[in-house]
Amino acid sequence: MFVCLLKVSICKHACPFFPPPLVGDIRTLQWDTDPSVLQLQADSEHGRRMQRLGASKITQVDFLPKEVVSYCKETQTPLTAHLSEEEEEEDEEMMEAKSGPESEQQDEDDNRENKEVLRELTEEERQQILHSSEFQSFFECSIRVMERALAEDSNIFFDYGGRELEDKEGDLGSGSSLSFSRLFYDEHWSKHRVITCLDWSLQYPELLVASYNNNEDAPHEPDGVALVWNIKFKKATPEYIFHCQSPVVSVGFIVLWDNRSHRRTPVQRTPLSAAAHTHPVYCVNVVGTQNANNLITVSTDGRMCSWSLDMLSQPQETMELVYNKSKPVAVTGMAFPTGDVNNYVVGSEEGTVYTASRHGSKAGICEMFEGHQGPVTGISCHSAVGTVDFSHLFITSSFDWTVKLWSTKHNKPLYSFEDNADYVYDVMWSPVHPAIFAAVDGMGRLDLWNLNNDTEVPTASVTIEGASALNRVRWSSGGKEVAVGDSEGRVWIYDTGEVQIHWREAQLSWWPSRWVHGNEKSHQ
Amino acid sequence: MAGTEHVEVEETLKRIEAHKGVIGTIIVDAEGIPIRTTLDNSTTVLYARLLRRLTMNARSTVRDIDPQNDLTFLRIRSKKHEILVAPENDYLLIVIQNPCE
Repeated sequence: MFVCLLKVSICKHACPFFPPPLVGDIRTLQWDTDPSVLQLQADSEHGRRMQRLGASKITQVDFLPKEVVSYCKETQTPLTAHLSEEEEEEDEEMMEAKSGPESEQQDEDDNRENKEVLRELTEEERQQILHSSEFQSFFECSIRVMERALAEDSNIFFDYGGRELEDKEGDLGSGSSLSFSRLFYDEHWSKHRVITCLDWSLQYPELLVASYNNNEDAPHEPDGVALVWNIKFKKATPEYIFHCQSPVVSVGFIVLWDNRSHRRTPVQRTPLSAAAHTHPVYCVNVVGTQNANNLITVSTDGRMCSWSLDMLSQPQETMELVYNKSKPVAVTGMAFPTGDVNNYVVGSEEGTVYTASRHGSKAGICEMFEGHQGPVTGISCHSAVGTVDFSHLFITSSFDWTVKLWSTKHNKPLYSFEDNADYVYDVMWSPVHPAIFAAVDGMGRLDLWNLNNDTEVPTASVTIEGASALNRVRWSSGGKEVAVGDSEGRVWIYDTGEVQIHWREAQLSWWPSRWVHGNEKSHQ
Repeated sequence: MAGTEHVEVEETLKRIEAHKGVIGTIIVDAEGIPIRTTLDNSTTVLYARLLRRLTMNARSTVRDIDPQNDLTFLRIRSKKHEILVAPENDYLLIVIQNPCE
């Protein structure tokens, strides 16, 4: 910092101002003859010659920066890197010392800290820290958050100006489209495992759980795996990973995992006993309301068990599903119509579909519906809520390459959708649109059928690149996405392009011509 | 929070480091000593020290405003990089990323 003397000059055109009259040594200023300026005439009485002002010579003075004398103790370290760093520290310290005594204290701490930092952790210490439970819990927490934060690459500085946002085509419910959204695959846990079941969480609609069969190439790995995926965040790794000792064929079920505990293995599991199931459980449904609900499971030997989630050691009730009191039904799929907790439909290995009820005078299998020529792979009851009650409708998929539409009131199919060229592995009604359902087959094809549009061919169809057979399809609860599981352990998420705003007006306007009655025609 | 009995720290960190745009990762322990890092020593120590101080400041700011609140994540966006800090249990997980433009 340096100070320089500014050249001082008094302008002769100064503003009018009366200098105080001086006694004795009087100096008067002679003003200009500008009429706007008041003139001070020289006092001829005194006749003093006025002082003339002129430029004076500047003397420039430079003050050198104040040198702060500081002492520091240097530690003797062999690495030069450390030394140069310490110099940096000193500089910083110097500058900071000026800002006040507070920072001094901090700097001392830092200095001390620094000296500590220079102490390298031995491998032992490092391992000790890495295995401490404190570190584990820190790492678990923060790594999850960090991965999500990293994956969000939204650019908050992006300027949209000058670029029109693409017009989103309003889907008036007359058509739908399928567009690929995401693929969930975990190198370790998904590889070589067939996806056996998918389910969306009701509580957190962005969470999807997928269960996986065993990995034949890795016999030492747990046979059953369930992964919870999150579609809300862009990170590509599962939220949670669960193991089970036996292959998982149905998810969220017989074995109960507690998300809150810090363990990967099941918290509760039902025992393998004659009272419960001894055959693979292919169907699991939770029926009832949030407060009073039951877990219903059916195994391939025709046994249906109803469980209370509080006590999984034995079922609340069991029932043998037998048709005509002779043949047990080998159940492959089960579905409850919306709102019904008593009556349900099941599909079997023989290709027949049955209606059944849990309680009442006709408890057990009621009616038989024949139509499919191969085992029934998937069954789904109409679920969209609308002005007309379609809850008696359900669809089934089968190895016979077809999807059939049924009504519980008729024991022959209402309609057969025959556009597939391979086993159809699963089918599901859209939860929001009454005329739309999705189907997947063994050729990697995902079809979206819109009955208001066309009943001969699917409205939208996509053959998933790189997928072999598609095993499972599940709509998200909002009806905007479908999750598809394949035989290689991959979960594909497709957006269905339905504009949410229009579903309310959507109606099932088509009805199979065979069954049209006078009063049923007015659906629009 | 579901459990992981033995967190494969190395594996998980490698995954983070392989993420698009990540320049470096540092884990700092309760005393400010870097436990694990992918950057060179001097840079690591610099980041560890400065970010620890900043995190403590941020935390006390949050707490001063509302004593029942606490800092959960710190994200510093600069012209060149983005620094993400996840503090927990006195440890710090620091990731430096190049945000894609």
